[in-house]
Amino acid sequence: MILQTTILPPQASEMAWHVDNLIWFIAGTTIIASLGVYAALFYFCVAYRDKPGNTGPTPRILGSHKLELLWTVIPLLIFLVMFGWGAWVYNMALHAPDDAPELYIVGKQWMWKVQYPGGQRVILAANNHDYEKEIGGQGYFEGVMVLPINRPVRIVTTSEDVIHDFGVPAFRQKLDVIPGRYTSTWYQPNKLGEYHVFCDQYCGTNHSLMIGKILVVEQADYEAWLEGRWKTGPGKNAVDGSLAHQGRQLFMKLNCIQCHGSTGSLNQSGNRAPNLEEIHKSRRPLKGGTTVTADDDYLRESIRKPRAKIREGWEPIMPAYGADKVSEEDLIKVIAYIKSLRKGETPVRTEDWVAPVGGPTESTPTEGGSQR
Amino acid sequence: MSAVIEAPKGNDSHEPHSEHVSYLKDGYSWSSWLLTVDHKRIGILYLLTISFFFLIGGILAGLIRFNLVSPTGWILDNDMYNKAFTGHGVVMLFFFLIPAVPGVMGNFFVPIMIGAKDMAFPKLNLASWYILITGAAFAVWALLAGGIDTGWTLYPPYSSRSSHSNVLPGVMGAFIAGFSSIATGLNIIVTIHRLRAPGMTWGRLPLFIWAMYATSLIQLLATPVLAIALVLLMIETGSNLAGAPVGIFDPALDGDPVLFQHLFWFYSHPAVYIMILPGMGVVSEVLTCFSRKNIFGYKAVAWSSVGIAIVGFLVWAHHMFVAGISFYAALLFSLLSMLVAVPSAIKVFNWVSTMYRGRITFQAPMIFTLGFIVLFTIGGVTGLFLATLGSDIHLHDTYFIVAHFHFVMVGGMVLAYLSALHFWWPKMTGVMYSDFWSRLAALIICIGYILTFMPQFWLGYHGMPRRYPNYPEDMRVLNVLSTAGYTIQGFGFLMCGTYLVMSLFSGKKAPANPWHATGLEWDIPSPPITHNFESTPRVVCGPYEYSLNITQSGKKANPDEPSEVATH
Repeated sequence: MILQTTILPPQASEMAWHVDNLIWFIAGTTIIASLGVYAALFYFCVAYRDKPGNTGPTPRILGSHKLELLWTVIPLLIFLVMFGWGAWVYNMALHAPDDAPELYIVGKQWMWKVQYPGGQRVILAANNHDYEKEIGGQGYFEGVMVLPINRPVRIVTTSEDVIHDFGVPAFRQKLDVIPGRYTSTWYQPNKLGEYHVFCDQYCGTNHSLMIGKILVVEQADYEAWLEGRWKTGPGKNAVDGSLAHQGRQLFMKLNCIQCHGSTGSLNQSGNRAPNLEEIHKSRRPLKGGTTVTADDDYLRESIRKPRAKIREGWEPIMPAYGADKVSEEDLIKVIAYIKSLRKGETPVRTEDWVAPVGGPTESTPTEGGSQR
Repeated sequence: MSAVIEAPKGNDSHEPHSEHVSYLKDGYSWSSWLLTVDHKRIGILYLLTISFFFLIGGILAGLIRFNLVSPTGWILDNDMYNKAFTGHGVVMLFFFLIPAVPGVMGNFFVPIMIGAKDMAFPKLNLASWYILITGAAFAVWALLAGGIDTGWTLYPPYSSRSSHSNVLPGVMGAFIAGFSSIATGLNIIVTIHRLRAPGMTWGRLPLFIWAMYATSLIQLLATPVLAIALVLLMIETGSNLAGAPVGIFDPALDGDPVLFQHLFWFYSHPAVYIMILPGMGVVSEVLTCFSRKNIFGYKAVAWSSVGIAIVGFLVWAHHMFVAGISFYAALLFSLLSMLVAVPSAIKVFNWVSTMYRGRITFQAPMIFTLGFIVLFTIGGVTGLFLATLGSDIHLHDTYFIVAHFHFVMVGGMVLAYLSALHFWWPKMTGVMYSDFWSRLAALIICIGYILTFMPQFWLGYHGMPRRYPNYPEDMRVLNVLSTAGYTIQGFGFLMCGTYLVMSLFSGKKAPANPWHATGLEWDIPSPPITHNFESTPRVVCGPYEYSLNITQSGKKANPDEPSEVATH
């Protein structure tokens, strides 16, 4: 813990490097100047302290215009260098490259709603209750804002209620988020990792919980994340707004979950159909001894005409979902979701969902965390 | 030497006459205090008032610091924490820092130091104390009714729409207190212009008077703008409460939230100089006295005060570099902020040079003043990080800011205030405090300050935002260090309060001029008589003729030592 505290804060963008150079330049010059002042102060205190028997008059020194001019002009010149350098960095920090994609961030007491150009959205917030009780002091974060490495993104912000401020210390960037207008900045992360997002403008009760994480990943991971194939955050959900996330909602709505449930949370006997985690591109043994690769066409066929190919060990009980029940568009979403399912990511069924007639009725009180 | 000193002509001896009693003995009834128009008694009323509010503000600071010992909040829930830091800010700024030196030392010593019997408007002077008390009553009401949770900056639309705390009484308190500040400023300006004793030319004014003059200019010209901003805020908040919202700052009602920030900082940045300039004046007095030297560069120090006051009006938007103001506005305000740093630098260099070849003694006022120079230097140079655009983006609204302004306000201003209190305590009360305990307390307070606020620079550089009761675990060590510093400081303050109060009962009687200082205030008995001077003093020289060993009225400053001009 001590080690973490004493090291320098992470530098995760080129802007951070520029800002740090500026900060250390100012720190260097001011530390040297201050130490000079302190050295003189200390020396005078020691050298000219009142000694016993020292009763003579002190010299009547009224000042020196030359010296005063010197220590007016020299600080002024140094300050002007700071000003110029600072303006240069500020200009860079303000103006994004023209081709940078835009991310919209809406602040609201006490969360950040991040919207990606493709419609994906993430909510950043921390939960007060979890913060204290469940996770023993570590921040519990609702969502993670994922950014690609070495690509610029322009951030456009506004607020739904009061003034907030979107600050990312690792990028050395900060921007007031003001209701009724857009403000913008930009980031170009250059280091993989997870970084703090803080609300830096006081906004009420849970101001200190209006925080989140930025995850900087490789471009390929970023694309996988946007598509919902790679997931972050609680509940192991595909990012909101992706096809996979929409498919997940259909997976619930169409009651697929009732039979293709999570194996871990139901009685083994309760599962009436195979678990679908990591099914995509796997070899599936079929009744009759053949195998088939679970590609898009197989998945489609298994939904439209479930009895065409029956998985080894299961009964052909699934009803067909024809175009009257699932449109082609929705089917694509469901398949995208099934393709995105990784180990342990099947949501846990709760009593909120009505089981189909004849289905298992046991329910578990907890749900995977996706509905917080 | 004759160019400097006029031969004193017909200058009466100012030995105290027994028929004139000290201002403390001139009536003992409640009304002789509460209805007094004596600037000295009013100064004491201010002293009691701001000491009370310093205690309240200090306790609130303790709540903040102890809550931050744990990353999830140790003793307060989030709402209570928000109310604690808002209370701390409002109380300390409006009811301690702004009235502290102008109210106590300004009232008590500006007339005496220029050789006047009282302020120009004694009744206005009393009225300004009552106005402050009225404002304070509203603030206390707001605190007792459950507190305010907007932060002292009161940014709408949070304050006008979203906050469900006592915004109206709190804002009303600050609004009313502002008029006290305006009245005091006006009074001091007129007093300095009209009531200077014969011979007290502008070039012979003690630097404390110059600093008070500059301060008063700001009080007079900037405070009305705050009043405007607060009235508009009260209209919006009140109309929201009444259910017929009037939009001024709230964008949902077609208002502009950034407008409030402009109005607010147009006052509140110069207000920083209201707080620090009197402190700078005190330092010039104390440093020359305990170094036995003339001030190095009287004109530079005097005009730098006025320069700070004027340029200080033109830098307000450096609080808004990340608030979406235009790029060119940001450039201009950054440049002007750099300019305002120059006079402060000049002052520090001149103060240090003043000590060159002096005969320095280290009584409590001097230790506080040296502490001021050390800590104010840190406060000043860290301001450069914030005036510089590129670095402000990162450091804005973090603990770096908190540390910066506490170094200026607390390390600078509070130390200067304590220095002034210790310097003039014998004059104000007629008794001496403990030399040993006061030196020790001065050291403890300085060390406590450094320990409290140094870690906060590092926290801010790591990005810890201000006003956060919850923070990442890895920032805990620095927060705990800071809280440890608070306890040391608190101990120092309690010590300071204890020996000062004890001195009232058991302190040695103070001589008229315990520090052998040269100001007019040291010519008269301690404590002074109600009318200050038996006869109007005649000023014969500049304020800091320590090397000549003469006071401004031409007497020996230190009677045991030879003087260039022996008058009696």
